Amino acid sequence: MSIDVEALAATLDGAARDVRAIPKLTEAEPFDVATAYAVQRAVIERRERRGERLAGVKMGFTSRAKMAQMGVDDVIWGLLTDAMVAGPSVEVSGLIHPRVEPEIAYLIGREVRSVADVESAVAGVAVGFEVLDSRFADFSFTLPDVVADNASAARFGVGAWHPPRDLANAGMVLEIDGRVAQTGSSAAILGDPARSLRAAARLALGAGITLEPGWVVLAGAATAAVPLPKDAHVRVTCAGLGAVEVTT
Amino acid sequence: MTDPTSPDPVRAAAERLLAARASGVPCAPVRDLITTADEAYAVQDRLTEHALAGGRRLTGRKIGLTSAAVQAQLGVDSPDFGMLFADMAVPDGAEIPPGAVLQPRAEAEIALVLDADLTHERHTVADLLRATAFALPAIEVVGSRIADWDITLVDTVADNASSGLYVLGTRPVPLRDLDLRLCGMVLERRGEQLSTGTGAACLGNPLNAALWLADTLVRVGRPLRAGDTVLTGALGPVVAAAPGDVFEARVEGLGDVRAAFAKEES
Repeated sequence: MSIDVEALAATLDGAARDVRAIPKLTEAEPFDVATAYAVQRAVIERRERRGERLAGVKMGFTSRAKMAQMGVDDVIWGLLTDAMVAGPSVEVSGLIHPRVEPEIAYLIGREVRSVADVESAVAGVAVGFEVLDSRFADFSFTLPDVVADNASAARFGVGAWHPPRDLANAGMVLEIDGRVAQTGSSAAILGDPARSLRAAARLALGAGITLEPGWVVLAGAATAAVPLPKDAHVRVTCAGLGAVEVTT
Repeated sequence: MTDPTSPDPVRAAAERLLAARASGVPCAPVRDLITTADEAYAVQDRLTEHALAGGRRLTGRKIGLTSAAVQAQLGVDSPDFGMLFADMAVPDGAEIPPGAVLQPRAEAEIALVLDADLTHERHTVADLLRATAFALPAIEVVGSRIADWDITLVDTVADNASSGLYVLGTRPVPLRDLDLRLCGMVLERRGEQLSTGTGAACLGNPLNAALWLADTLVRVGRPLRAGDTVLTGALGPVVAAAPGDVFEARVEGLGDVRAAFAKEES
């Protein structure tokens, strides 16, 4: 079986740049998760060649519900670049079918050399949001598809950084235009987002990538994602961490 | 208009529900007998009178239908309430005997315990805060006398808001120390996470639910009194309970509480 990793990466990258949904890649030819991560890396390399810089990692499938839905028993991860950092506003016309979800974010303070090292390397924690935008039509994908598509990463934002603290069971609310759209607890993130942080270190180290000072780890979503509408004001609030806001 | 020649439908509905409770065999829905929420509360009131006449002590109320998802599922835009009696209270972690609740399900909630009456026509959040002695974490074991939980609004209201038993945590926390909107909740069984949520899932804030209850109960003539416990409503999705299950709920800032279902009799 010969999978053209570069060609698949070009297809995904083109879909994001052209704001155009594409069919699942595995429909044409199935490939495994290891190949999918190679495609993901090739997509990121294309972005880096355009001048984007790595800004962190994001974790996916961190809730029991999502793992069960996808039939997997481990998290997936993707890479974040500085071009994905949302400013005060996100232009939804530049996205295919964006969804937003409430996140817990960790700020890496120094290079992470081992999984055991990661928690002491954290310089701060914040409430965050992630805008997901699967490049696949109708958000319909298999596990290798979504891994290749950089775990649907599109945009993200974080609130003010706070000193590291226990976030095992912090209440979170996602509001759109001042109305509650989702409610949940950070406990939905692998029982404690700190577990997701350790998983991020494990997966990154395993892939030969070092979590660098200044990088952000998006640990996962506390609730299901909701469609991100146009001309909307989005606010995510987390107990003890304040809020982060974005308009579209 | 009720046909004067037919039996009283409120009475018939109450008798159907009482028979299900007594026999332990779930019954058909009661929506063939009654159609309005007022009639459903009349059925519930009949059950309450029956309970009080039997010497059961009223200890508080539960609020149901407080989540957007459940309201959408039942096509309603308001919560409902049911009665709590002393014999429905189970100590933290004590075994719940088999069959104690028909078709049991568990949900984690915040309980408010009052130390003042709430008898105004309209209450403010200030009235409620002043009247609340403390909050406790709680697990409500809901149940349905109606087969397969095939319920509409009138079915659940008539059936005492599908109440069963309730377990309260044991460490009282004053409201000044809590942000009820953002207190995270986890419900686990054997360390396995079953449900997560936060106070905002309950009508935006559990205090909103309690305010609705206080005003509503004055209107129906059975106001909240000092000493009453108010189960404010689920903080996250409800989960089915099976014999042998031990549930633990943790509410951030409030602590934890357990509901333990006895194993099936062999």
